[in-house]
Amino acid sequence: MSRQASGLRAWALQRISAVYLGLYLIYMLGHLSFNAPETYEAWRAYVADPGVTIGMLLFVTALLIHAWVGIRDVLIDYIHPIMARVGLLSLFAIGFIACGLWFAKVVFLASVAA
Amino acid sequence: MTLARRRFDALIIGAGGAGLNAALQLANANLRVAVVSKVFPTRSHTVAAQGGVNAALANVFEDNWHWHMFDTVKGSDYLGDQDAIEYMCREAIPTVYELEHNGVPFSRLDNGKIYQRAFGGQSQNFGGAQAARTCAAADRTGHAILHTLYQQNIRARTHFFDEYFGVELIRDSEGAILGALTLEIETGEPLLIEAKTTLLATGGCGQVFRTTSNAHINTGDGMAMALRAGVPLMDMEFFQFHPTGIAGRGMLITEGVRGEGGYLVNKDGERFMERYAPNAKDLASRDVVARAIVTEVKEGRGCGPNADHVLLKVDHLGEDIIAKRLPGIRESSKIFAGVDPAVEPIPVFPTAHYVMGGIPTDRLGHVVVPASDGSEQIVPGLYAAGECACVSVHGANRLGGNSLLDILVFGRAAGQQIIDHLKDDPEHKTMDETAVEQAVARLTRWEQPGEGISVRELRDEFRKVMEDHAGVFRTDDIMSEGVAKVKALREKLKDVRLGDQSKVFNTARIEALELENLIDIGMAIVLSALERKESRGAHSRPDYTERDDANWLKHSVYFKEGDRLDYKPVQTKPLTVDTFPPKPRVY
Amino acid sequence: MKFFVYRYNPDVDTAPHMQEYDVEVTRGMMLRDALMEIKRQDEAFAFRHSCGEGVCGSDAVNVNGSNLLGCTTPVSELKEPVNVRPLPGRPVIRDLVVDMSQFYQQYRAVKPYLIHKDPLPEQEILQSPEDRDKLDGLYECIMCGCCSTACPSFWWNPDKFHGPQALLQAWRFLADSRDQATEERLDALEGPYKLYRCHSIMNCVEYCPKSLNPTKAIGKIKELMLKHSI
Repeated sequence: MSRQASGLRAWALQRISAVYLGLYLIYMLGHLSFNAPETYEAWRAYVADPGVTIGMLLFVTALLIHAWVGIRDVLIDYIHPIMARVGLLSLFAIGFIACGLWFAKVVFLASVAA
Repeated sequence: MTLARRRFDALIIGAGGAGLNAALQLANANLRVAVVSKVFPTRSHTVAAQGGVNAALANVFEDNWHWHMFDTVKGSDYLGDQDAIEYMCREAIPTVYELEHNGVPFSRLDNGKIYQRAFGGQSQNFGGAQAARTCAAADRTGHAILHTLYQQNIRARTHFFDEYFGVELIRDSEGAILGALTLEIETGEPLLIEAKTTLLATGGCGQVFRTTSNAHINTGDGMAMALRAGVPLMDMEFFQFHPTGIAGRGMLITEGVRGEGGYLVNKDGERFMERYAPNAKDLASRDVVARAIVTEVKEGRGCGPNADHVLLKVDHLGEDIIAKRLPGIRESSKIFAGVDPAVEPIPVFPTAHYVMGGIPTDRLGHVVVPASDGSEQIVPGLYAAGECACVSVHGANRLGGNSLLDILVFGRAAGQQIIDHLKDDPEHKTMDETAVEQAVARLTRWEQPGEGISVRELRDEFRKVMEDHAGVFRTDDIMSEGVAKVKALREKLKDVRLGDQSKVFNTARIEALELENLIDIGMAIVLSALERKESRGAHSRPDYTERDDANWLKHSVYFKEGDRLDYKPVQTKPLTVDTFPPKPRVY
Repeated sequence: MKFFVYRYNPDVDTAPHMQEYDVEVTRGMMLRDALMEIKRQDEAFAFRHSCGEGVCGSDAVNVNGSNLLGCTTPVSELKEPVNVRPLPGRPVIRDLVVDMSQFYQQYRAVKPYLIHKDPLPEQEILQSPEDRDKLDGLYECIMCGCCSTACPSFWWNPDKFHGPQALLQAWRFLADSRDQATEERLDALEGPYKLYRCHSIMNCVEYCPKSLNPTKAIGKIKELMLKHSI
């Protein structure tokens, strides 16, 4: 993480990701209320659609970026001892990456099975 | 006790417009300069100047410095020194451009040039039509200038001693000034600053009066320090009462309000200035307008339930002009008078505003001890600039917009002089330890324990005495009584005790030191005023109603030692142009 | 009227305490007048004040939880009892006097002065009235500190976050058509701390006694930065 970029870039990414999250949530809510898949198979088929897969992967990426910037801000604000901050940041980073990978795996498996 | 000491090439006491402009010159020249200020620099009272700074830029109407000079000489009621006035009016033009280059956010005309407004006492062509000579940043010009100068000093890395109080000048047996004793307010510890040159830029002393537009800090510290170092004060009887302070409170309503087209009315709704100054009307010189208002009230034409003020009408200018050109005034009127000038007129009454007199200097900023034969002796190592100094460019009455100009031009000139002086890299003179001890004694005096009169009590009493006995109209009886009372108060000072002897940020101790300063200056004012037996400019005597050029075209010079008064001729010869001989002063 | 005033004199007190004072209210009395009255009663009470008309910025204090200027606040607008405390988040020197050095340091850090690189003209640098209007709402800052000391981000990182006051001034120079150091100024504001600790909490806007809007200025800086990076 270069110090130079972590101000503007983080701020911009948080806002761009927020826009995507917002739009995606609207789409998703709409889809679920008017056209919700009724069975497990229908769900798998829906997720396996390449468009939906990419959309979901993007959603999770945006969510994690958004959460990362937010968490980072909170830690910078409140956690001042440098070791504690680095430790917590690493913990969250590992957790977020794990979440991301797990989600990718779920979506990937869904498309394979379909 | 070992006294902490620091050494600098130059010491500047005071961080208003004059001090900061001088500091900027010195810091830009890479000299070791220390600026001592009893408040953080942007709290200095220059910040409160509203209307603007005069310079014959001719951005609105035709103009030139010679006309500006004429107005200033006439405004001074011919008591100003014409060489210094010429210098100031010529320097005004490059000075304002330099300010602009430094970043001052001046208001602008459509062609992109600096906005200039009409102000009192300004004319084209030696007494002709109204001029527009006052360069303005809305109605916050002082704020804009002070902040810009502080900002430029940040760039130049000036060394600031913020919240240090200047206690006493150190003067050796040969009369040279070697620096000053200061007091760090936060710790209560004294610090001796040794300097090859010392510049006093401590501003005015409006706190001598009870109702004043001046800030709590305007206690004339530099003037009193000079007095105690054997330097006299010149023309102290000339104290300007600004015509338009908010009635009963004293906050200033800039002359710019009248410059933009506002006017004064009495209880009958009459535009009374037409009677006192048929041509200039509301834009007559300040002393003229202030006297007119007091006369209206005295003769029963005042407004309000107590008939104790007049009204300044602005609403006819319309919302737009008021919002754009007078936003600060609108804010102040709402807060302090409870009126919105866009709807209702502002209640106003004269308020103590500016001292034309001060520490006598030449036009280069050297402090000089004048002798009655007209010769001047420079006090080695000592300079003064700004309101605490008397060059004298304002004479018996200062024109609006000339005070910002004065502090900038002469602050800069003093800075340049100090640079010249330091070019030869003189040595620090040997510190005079006896003088240091005497200075420290001024601090230890306040460590006397026991019961006594409180600082506050004496301060309140003194300011009331000054208001009653040295106000707008002055008679022999009133002022003789005033002199006696101030003398009695000066005696009483000995019995004042500090209840709070703690060190850290002891504002009571600072106020005690300020009170000593105020009383010394008060004495200079009442004595000089009592002795001047004529009416000139701001000094108006019902018992001597006329200006008396045969006997009184001269500066008063007050020495603290023995309360002695002396006189010095006015410099009527300008630098390059012809003298403006005294004429009856009509507006 | 009842006042509870924060008192602490390191020379004599081991801990701060709130002291009660009764002040007789006069017509048009401002909080500063009341504090001066308290000083009349109690010489040892210390607070900063000077101009009395809201331009010098000396007498910012915290009253009933809000930062404000003593000299422009009528006591009639205050809820009784009036709790007067020093500005929050700053080390107390004595009573209501706080140490503002970090606040000033952040101000100095934004290079708050005009940088004009072209050769200077003999007369003024021209500026259209429209360009000059862009400085309104920026240059009027009196550095009282009401905003920055009300800003949680400044409380947490006063050494690294510039705070609303300094950022408002950063924008004052970015917005000045005469200033020619836009790139350097923007570069200097990069990083997670100096500018980006602002989370638009907007306490600064709420408490500015001159009705200025640092949050808006900060938004404009971010916008300009984004434009420059694309």
